[in-house]
Amino acid sequence: MAALETREQVAALGEKYKYGFVTDIEMERAPKGLSEDTVRFISAKKGEPEWMLEWRLGAYRRWRQMREPTWARVHYDPIDYENAYYYAAPKSAADGPKSLDEIDPKLIETYNKLGIPLNEQMLLAGVAVDAVFDSVSVATTFKEKLSEAGVIFCPISEAIRDYPELVKKYLGSVVPVTDNFFATLNSAVFSDGSFVYVPKGVRCPMELSTYFRINAQGTGQFERTLIIADEGSYVSYLEGCTAPKRDENQLHAAVVELVALEGAEIKYSTVQNWYPGDEEGKGGIYNFVTKRGDCRGARSKISWTQVETGSAITWKYPSCLLRGDDSVGEFYSIAIANHFQQADTGTKMHHLGKNTRSRIISKGISAGQAQNTYRGLVSVHPRAANARNYTQCDSLLIGGKCGAHTVPYIESRNKSARIEHEATTSKIAEDQLFYCLQRGIPQEEAVALIVNGFCREVLQQLPMEFAVEAQKLVGISLEGSVG
Amino acid sequence: MSALPNRRVEDWKYTDLRNAIEGEAVASAPVARWSVTLSGTVEQNELPEIMARGTHGEMGTVAAAHAKSGIFLHVGKGEQGTVHLELSNAGHGRALIVVEEGASLTLRETMSVGDFSNIAIEIVAGPNAQLHHIREANADGESVRVSDYSIRIAQGATYRAHFADFGAKLSRTELHIALEGEGAEVHLSGVSVLGDGGHADVTTRVTHSAGNAQSTQLFKLIAGGKSRGVYQGKVSVAEGANGSDSRQTAKGLLLGERAEIDLKPELEILADDVKCAHGAAIGDLDPESLFYLRSRGVAEPEARALLMRAFLEDAVAEITDEDIRAEVWSHVEAALAELTA
Repeated sequence: MAALETREQVAALGEKYKYGFVTDIEMERAPKGLSEDTVRFISAKKGEPEWMLEWRLGAYRRWRQMREPTWARVHYDPIDYENAYYYAAPKSAADGPKSLDEIDPKLIETYNKLGIPLNEQMLLAGVAVDAVFDSVSVATTFKEKLSEAGVIFCPISEAIRDYPELVKKYLGSVVPVTDNFFATLNSAVFSDGSFVYVPKGVRCPMELSTYFRINAQGTGQFERTLIIADEGSYVSYLEGCTAPKRDENQLHAAVVELVALEGAEIKYSTVQNWYPGDEEGKGGIYNFVTKRGDCRGARSKISWTQVETGSAITWKYPSCLLRGDDSVGEFYSIAIANHFQQADTGTKMHHLGKNTRSRIISKGISAGQAQNTYRGLVSVHPRAANARNYTQCDSLLIGGKCGAHTVPYIESRNKSARIEHEATTSKIAEDQLFYCLQRGIPQEEAVALIVNGFCREVLQQLPMEFAVEAQKLVGISLEGSVG
Repeated sequence: MSALPNRRVEDWKYTDLRNAIEGEAVASAPVARWSVTLSGTVEQNELPEIMARGTHGEMGTVAAAHAKSGIFLHVGKGEQGTVHLELSNAGHGRALIVVEEGASLTLRETMSVGDFSNIAIEIVAGPNAQLHHIREANADGESVRVSDYSIRIAQGATYRAHFADFGAKLSRTELHIALEGEGAEVHLSGVSVLGDGGHADVTTRVTHSAGNAQSTQLFKLIAGGKSRGVYQGKVSVAEGANGSDSRQTAKGLLLGERAEIDLKPELEILADDVKCAHGAAIGDLDPESLFYLRSRGVAEPEARALLMRAFLEDAVAEITDEDIRAEVWSHVEAALAELTA
């Protein structure tokens, strides 16, 4: 049964990207190119207060003086920042939908194609959905249930309006405006994203989830996510994305900031399967993301789990600042690169507080002519007594034309700290494959099976619904990589 | 010359040469000299003033450009010999060492001068040649020393090297090694034992250009007082170099409150039929081992010394020449005694 299902999936996939379709909706766009006027336009469109505009303009001016980083092991044609749109909103959303019925039926149709009908989603497993269609959040569900618990879960543009004090206090406090080229760009032109605030001692009653997708041709998407877990609270946040097919490369530069106060825990899971470009390496999303969590309080915990299968280029290092004593940081990652995809991803664990612990499990899979790099830093500050880190990064190569690279930085300045790092590189063993084949499992399924086994430790970290999706994704992503 | 390598240059992130020495002092440094002791069948000649062909890093290129003369050592086909190079005058130096097909050479390097030295050495090991290289750098908190090796290993040849570094104001050992033929082997090992103010950086670049070659690396670092131990190792497997087998281990023991150890074991793999692994760890002495020894009546200082020796021993044991191993080990013991005193 399972075998049949996989085969059907692969067949349905054919040569094309499963989610490759474009919804034809009139877009409201900012003028092409990036200038102070663009920033003002976006800010005005969002009806933002003056302080927010100043913040954006400050970032914009800073960005003008910055240079695009070149240290990552990714190659792409120079991006023409003046030849892109920085804001696009579904027109019908301008006056703000109050309920699902008000939503453009075409959007609903898109979600149906994606397999996430909102109506069903509402019933499904208690997942609240803040669905972002391009830049403006168009539907937010389960608001009542969340507000009962006191949890704020809304588009960040709304948070700027309704909770300016929280936003002022935390926005840019983990990823400063000047952090890096792409984060600064995001700070200047971010369109929308999610805002979560979990009050003291509250365990968020459901998994929070955002499905967002890039839709308008030639429009970059600049998500901004800010999650604050107040003392003793817990929240699990799911992020999953698909994008319609097109040939033009698209820039995506998101920023995600997590703040965990004393005793709080944030679990952040991502399944990323944006359009990776075609078999010849044409097209695909450029995914330059800055994600960072700040374990600000004692005994706080931040856990990143990511399944990165999409995008032509991935440049992403979800990190943890372990500032509170006894705080914990985790990073579980699967990065799959096939055809001409390039992934340069990893994490940074900054041990600043005493008795801080971190764990890094990274699984990189390269196939076709793809390049997959793990780049990570574990740094122990002189004050971080008894810090502990364990890192494991394994690479799997499928085929002789791809590359797998490991670049770990390990820096210890405290004698009581213990750091361990292990890395291996291997290919799918002939005997494993042979065993599957002689049991009648076709080659492609056998590969998916073996790769799923290779990734098991990370897949286990994902919430249920995601784990199922991710396992299928692993198989689909590697389609055409053997034989 | 342009600016000296500094921490803004990725490969020099942990070793800031610009901080340790003035550019002027580098530019005006004299030509280095060695006192050479030969035995067996080794020919020594003046190295003609041609540019070194090897792949050198930034400072190796500077050395090759500044050193007008150098030494050229040659071991003919099937011959055997030993060489002891004692650096007697600091400065920019270069040497070319060629070990022909089937020949074998034991090369020993020591230094007894301080100040600034910047040495570029090119080593060529012919098919099935055997080269055993041991370098020791004494503790010298005043000197700045950079050594840059470019090593090419032909099919079936083995290059086995050990680097014992007891710390300088700045010490950088850079190895650019290419495994150019099937069955070529490189085995690198080293110990850095650093007291207060010491610094030692070992940076290796091993390239598997041909398939079925083997590389192993085992480096142990002990950093006491306010010192800094660095290991950066990069293993690259070229496209098509199937059957490559590479292992890389780097371990650090932090003893000083203000000491720092930085490890960066890197892998760059472009072939799929390979076995590549690396491991790295930094920590203090294992409390359980310490407890075990103390419960057997071994006093804590002795127990600690014993564990430190054990920590370093397997790296020093990689030296196959017994006499040299014993000598290096005695220096390691002396450095440890000083550290724990």
